[in-house]
Amino acid sequence: MIVANYIGAILLVAIGFYAMMTNPNIIRIVVGMNIVDYGLNLMIVSVGFNQGGTAPIYTLGELTSGMYFVDPIPQALTLTSIVIGACVTAMSIALCIKMYSEYGTLDARQIRRLHG
Amino acid sequence: MSIDINTILMYLLYALVFPGLLFSSVFGLWLAGVDRKVVARMQKRIGPPIMQPTYDFFKLLGKETIIPANAATTTFMLAPYVGLVSLVVLALFIPVGGFQAFGGMADIVVVLYLLTIPSLSIIFGGSASGNPFAGVGVSRSMVAIMAYELPLILVLLAVSKAVSGNGMLTFSLEGITTYQKLNGSLLFDWRLLPAAVAMLLVIPCEVGSHPFDVGEAETEICEGPLVEYSGAPLAVFKLSHAIKMFVMTALFAALFLGGIATGMLWLDIVIALLICTVVTIICMSFLHAITARLKVEQVFKFFWTVVSGLALVSLILVWIGI
Amino acid sequence: MSMQYYQHFPVLSIMILFLGAFLVALFHKSRFMRTFITSVAVIGSFAMMIALIKPVMLNGEIITYWLGGRVPDGGYAIGIALEVDAVSLFFGILVSLAVLLSGLYSFRYTKQDDARDKFFTLYLMLAGGVMGIVLSGDLFNIYVMLEVMTFAAVALTAYRSWNPNAREAAFKYLVVGSIGSSSVLLGIALIYANCHTLNLAQISALAMSKMNPSMLLAFALLFVGFGTKAFMVPFHPIAADAHAAAPSSVSVLISGVFTKTGVYGIIRVCYFLFRTMGMPAVQTGVVLIGSVSMFLCVTMALNQHDFKRLLAFHSISQIGYILTSLGLCTALGIAGGLYHAINHTLFKGLLFLTAGAVLYSTGTTKLEKLGGLAKKMPQTAALFMIGAFSISGVPPFNGFVSKWMIYQATYEKAMETGSIGYALVTVLAVVTSVLTLASFVKVGQSVFFGEMPIEYQNVKETPASMLVPMWIMAGLCLATGLLPNLMFKYLLGPATGAVLNSPAYIDSAMGAGYAASQMPDMSLMADPVIVFAGAWKPLSWLLLFVIILAAVALASLMSKKRTSESGAVIDSKHDTFFGGEENTFSQVASGDLFWGFKHNMRKYLGFMSNAHNGITNEYVTWGVVDLAIIIVYCFIFI
Repeated sequence: MIVANYIGAILLVAIGFYAMMTNPNIIRIVVGMNIVDYGLNLMIVSVGFNQGGTAPIYTLGELTSGMYFVDPIPQALTLTSIVIGACVTAMSIALCIKMYSEYGTLDARQIRRLHG
Repeated sequence: MSIDINTILMYLLYALVFPGLLFSSVFGLWLAGVDRKVVARMQKRIGPPIMQPTYDFFKLLGKETIIPANAATTTFMLAPYVGLVSLVVLALFIPVGGFQAFGGMADIVVVLYLLTIPSLSIIFGGSASGNPFAGVGVSRSMVAIMAYELPLILVLLAVSKAVSGNGMLTFSLEGITTYQKLNGSLLFDWRLLPAAVAMLLVIPCEVGSHPFDVGEAETEICEGPLVEYSGAPLAVFKLSHAIKMFVMTALFAALFLGGIATGMLWLDIVIALLICTVVTIICMSFLHAITARLKVEQVFKFFWTVVSGLALVSLILVWIGI
Repeated sequence: MSMQYYQHFPVLSIMILFLGAFLVALFHKSRFMRTFITSVAVIGSFAMMIALIKPVMLNGEIITYWLGGRVPDGGYAIGIALEVDAVSLFFGILVSLAVLLSGLYSFRYTKQDDARDKFFTLYLMLAGGVMGIVLSGDLFNIYVMLEVMTFAAVALTAYRSWNPNAREAAFKYLVVGSIGSSSVLLGIALIYANCHTLNLAQISALAMSKMNPSMLLAFALLFVGFGTKAFMVPFHPIAADAHAAAPSSVSVLISGVFTKTGVYGIIRVCYFLFRTMGMPAVQTGVVLIGSVSMFLCVTMALNQHDFKRLLAFHSISQIGYILTSLGLCTALGIAGGLYHAINHTLFKGLLFLTAGAVLYSTGTTKLEKLGGLAKKMPQTAALFMIGAFSISGVPPFNGFVSKWMIYQATYEKAMETGSIGYALVTVLAVVTSVLTLASFVKVGQSVFFGEMPIEYQNVKETPASMLVPMWIMAGLCLATGLLPNLMFKYLLGPATGAVLNSPAYIDSAMGAGYAASQMPDMSLMADPVIVFAGAWKPLSWLLLFVIILAAVALASLMSKKRTSESGAVIDSKHDTFFGGEENTFSQVASGDLFWGFKHNMRKYLGFMSNAHNGITNEYVTWGVVDLAIIIVYCFIFI
């Protein structure tokens, strides 16, 4: 059901933000960012979804009137967004590893040389 | 642009003689003399002759200029002249008795910003000398600038609002004088009275006169930014100080007493100069004689609470249009 | 429609940067090839932007370039468009100029770094991403470019392996910045759900008639998203961290260019996509955010002990000016905001480059450790002073003109609406300007003047290859301040007109008459004629200044009987006049300057200093709370 998708997407975003706000472990902050990403991806795919639509792949002969598709653009957008999300995750994990070796901790409360 | 030779000569005359370099120097030094004399009389001293600042100026010109080993030479030597010149330019923009040499070239916001250049030249010049006294002086002068800028902009906005009517906003000094010529001086508008008082308090702080002369306190930090200056550059700073007195009082006259018009230009100018003198006596000599120097944090507090409050009252009164 | 040769320039100016990035990666071994490819890319990109001035700015054309020739079909924009109107070109010029100058500076500047081969790849990716944003006519492309840009910027922030804070700064930047990216993406999804298109022009045409709660949510999300990229309050701490940690030439891009994409995005969202800027509630909101950014960040800057971190806070403070001015929705306000945008890129770029030069020569940017450098680096000191005067709005430098316009615009708005709130914004702007001046006096006093620490006795002047871009920037700071008329004719006038005239933008992409057929209200959002309330003629003023300076100089030459032999024996009379302790130990520390101010404001400053505690979670919380507040604000007032 499409409404469930929207609710799920919003919930995922909310959970992700909550994790980023409250979890002092930097790895979990990254996980939180990922959850937000998944929520957004779910949202975008759902936007293009048509109940009963076919896949947007066709040859002219198969076209009949009354046929309709799932919107392909949001799927392409989701794909892009997933790729970007993966890059961001890789980058942030790399930074986490470096920070762990520099600070000896993953606690965001102790990684605060820059303040004030 | 087609400008014939006569116009150029006239502008040169404005810039270099009246009301530019020569006149503002002479009149400024005279004002400084009057100030010293009045203070002395109020303290029951005889005081120096009125021409004393002028003599001092020429005496200093003849003295040797010592550049301290620590100083950043270019900035140290250039600062006084830049400050002086910007003050003279400022004198050209402010109408004196309705006479404005270069009207339509600057408005009150420009004046507000040009006013910071002389102070900045003192600050950077002092800073460039590398002296710890100068460091303290720089810090204090800057705090003084921060202190008076807030009330000054409030005063300017209040005046501008009072002058602008029917949704037309004007920031131009010419517009402000013209309005006063038609509608009477703004000083006699009771809503602007607090602003005028605030302005009278801003003037000594901007000029750096007692009790707000925290930056140049001779007795504590040996004139602060000026401590390493000697000879001609010091003379130029002293001259700038004198011209600043003229410029600030003339600004007061233009903002609040611009409505005095006798029909004769020379008489207007004489009246304006008289006003300058009176304002100098009221807000500089008088305050100087009766008060002790404030501490720097007191200056800041005083200007951001009392003086700004006065100016804000005016702005609100003008705004709600009683 | 016959294609003019210059219609390919937008796409080429983006592609040349990306192509350069890949080629640099390919030929990374040779220093010459890296330098050569980067120079060609940045110069080419800048030249193409300049070449577009004539058709776009002067002839008023709007260049629409459909990738793959896929023009709109049946009233639907199927292809991906690049659309360059005066606003895009304005930001394009600004971006490519900063990229060019900062790139030239980097060749020498990165000499002290390891992994130099990767620097220019990332640098060009960042530049290409920014160019892609400002020239694109497609919302999703903007998002992708935004991510490319952010990604490159984060990598460059973490780039300096010897800077112990770099990774921390990059991580915070990435995490807090991801709130903005997520908001933009969600906003785009919601817009697509309502309008079924990603083309900016078509969305602009359709959005007004399709206004519903989800579109309103999309507006709020996009606003916050782009606001994050502009580092508006409360996203400012990450900017401060990132600027301070990144190499200076990258700080120039982050501060002068990266933030401008945020400003650009806000212009597109508020003036084009949703046309909401006409609403008083939106104006109030934007001006409020701008003013808070302006004031809060300048007071934070006064608290700083690090040259670059101080500059970083100023950069957000200046963005606050720009947002305030753009939020007024008057021609003067928009022109002032855009003017300040280009000025900010120039003077802040210059200041970051001088900070970089100080770092290059001395190895530190800590204000407490430095001092007296003006004697060793006179040109750098002069450049710093030009930058400092420009940012503090000292006439005749450029910061003054734009601030002058912003004061007028805010006060005019106050007169127009009769609300004293806008008048207080004017006052706040002036006070901010003074505080800006104060903090640069502090930098001047503690870095370039005062007593020089013994370890810097052998410091050398900045190398010429770094000085040249700085002098160009300084020259431009003066030129843009002195020639406002030319600025209006070639850049600001057309750009202001374009900001107010979104129907023209729509028609250029979708075909003439499309805007009229879809939009219920096509009227301009404000009168595009720029009227000044006061007068300021910088050229004649400067002429006057020079004449009098000449007279004074002449007089002082004539009065001087005998110049004291320069370079004469330095004896005790040239010593510093001071008693007691050694001069070195008696200097006022940078933190103690302005004690009179700090003492009075100690509660506020202490509170602010404690609030910026550097914990990532708290910054995320600020961001999410801000997002929530703006969404609620939009739903209540719009």
